[in-house]
Amino acid sequence: MKKISIYRPSTVDQAMQILSQHGTSASVYAGGTDLLIRLKNRLQQAPTYLVDIKKIDNLRYIKEDGQGGVEIGAATKLAELADSRLLQERYPMLVEAIGKISSPELRNASTIAGDLLQEVWCQYLRGGYSCWRNGGYMCYGAIGDNSYYHSAMGGRLCYAVYPGDAATALIPFDARAKLATPQGPKELLIEQLVPGDMLVDGKIQSHVVRFNEILTSVVIPAPKPGLRASFEKLRPRGVWDFAMASLALSLQLRDKTIDDARVVFGGIAGKPLRERAVENFLKGKILNGELGEQAISVALANAAPLKYNATKIDMAKGLLASGLARLNA
Amino acid sequence: MLEPVGCLAEFPAGPFHEIAVRLFGRKGKASKSASRSYWHLLNLIEAAGKPLDSEQKSIVQALEIDAAARASVYEDVLPALGELKVMGIQLLIASSLSRAAVGRFLEQRSLAGFFSGVWNRDSASGIKTFPLLRAVSESGLQPKNTIFLTDSAEGLKVARSAGVNPILMMNDPDEAMRLAAHDPAGGIVSMHELPDFVRLVKAQNQQRS
Repeated sequence: MKKISIYRPSTVDQAMQILSQHGTSASVYAGGTDLLIRLKNRLQQAPTYLVDIKKIDNLRYIKEDGQGGVEIGAATKLAELADSRLLQERYPMLVEAIGKISSPELRNASTIAGDLLQEVWCQYLRGGYSCWRNGGYMCYGAIGDNSYYHSAMGGRLCYAVYPGDAATALIPFDARAKLATPQGPKELLIEQLVPGDMLVDGKIQSHVVRFNEILTSVVIPAPKPGLRASFEKLRPRGVWDFAMASLALSLQLRDKTIDDARVVFGGIAGKPLRERAVENFLKGKILNGELGEQAISVALANAAPLKYNATKIDMAKGLLASGLARLNA
Repeated sequence: MLEPVGCLAEFPAGPFHEIAVRLFGRKGKASKSASRSYWHLLNLIEAAGKPLDSEQKSIVQALEIDAAARASVYEDVLPALGELKVMGIQLLIASSLSRAAVGRFLEQRSLAGFFSGVWNRDSASGIKTFPLLRAVSESGLQPKNTIFLTDSAEGLKVARSAGVNPILMMNDPDEAMRLAAHDPAGGIVSMHELPDFVRLVKAQNQQRS
């Protein structure tokens, strides 16, 4: 493992100054379940300077925001989200999704911000191949084994899927991320935070957070009465693994009529994929047992599977049908 | 720099194979890959060690024109070339096809306007590295800032010999994985990725400077 330096700032402003000083060779360090593995695997792209934000006050909390919503500090552990009574009462689908991330041990270490901003888990990147995200200019996933961790919906240079579940589950609630930046605070919808393969500061990354910015919290608006939501995830193993396909689904119901819908697929694209064609299809429909079959006929029309991952599209469509059936039960 | 065969269009393999059969007595079936047939033919021409006579030239040219006329341009080529041109990227053809075949290919598909220079085996007085070297020298390019797109091992080798960066067109995943072992400077799945490739390299160069 290369030599690294660790800073332990006590404020967000200090942390931003350190990040600005070192440019793209520095990175925020909190849970470490992604970052430390990249270092241990000797990835060229791994940072040299770690800015440990665990000592910064007020980054680890779950609290009501005064408007019926909930705000979650960036350094809050996933296990704390999974155990939160407040979240369970307001957003049981989110708690279910968090409970399906990785393993209990890793949820004890991982933070919500780390889950949102994590690096992709393509086996070629993690194996040290010189790919787009690791100092090279090629995607080995596009031409090699892409059965599990690569996009079936096309790509932009890198074909790895966005691996996080939290973002997929937060988007149906129109959750927002708060960021501290040298220019002042800013807010983004989670969907805007992780739009997929972006060229940021000379790197390809799944999110838009620049090298000198820090995600400080996530705000989830109050759920409206009549909101029903479900999260489902298919993975190679029952625990620990990433989604081959997942679905976060929310329906805003008036009796059985769908006034609004959010359909977000995970594990099949370079971003949490909002499937607006299905959302539009569902609006105004009556939730019933036949809706699932009808919905999958309009889903994922732009699928562009790689050689070995067409099954992800079938999985995703299956999740859509089962998700609608579950909300109809 | 681009080689039309395998980068801009799907050429038929048959005409290249037929040239190899008629001029060099090649036996066996034609490869399904036009690029493989094309680069193999170039190796045969090179190994012959003497210029083609006029009869041979006319056979080669007629069959190459046939191939160029039947080539099917990849659907992402036109938008990508348009975007690259708007970005101010200098685009050149560096091909071992004859002048007539390259001309037929570019004009028939209205592609000629995208390229600031077209080098072929006639204008470059040779095949393989010759068109690349002439394109670099005549256009005042810096080899380290120049890429050559190819989908074959031979193309990668030729680019290295010419001192430019070989970029692999990964048309077929299994073939591309094999060719990745030839250490290309990079690889793209589709021409539509080329503008982003250029943007990324530019941003990285700016970060370093």
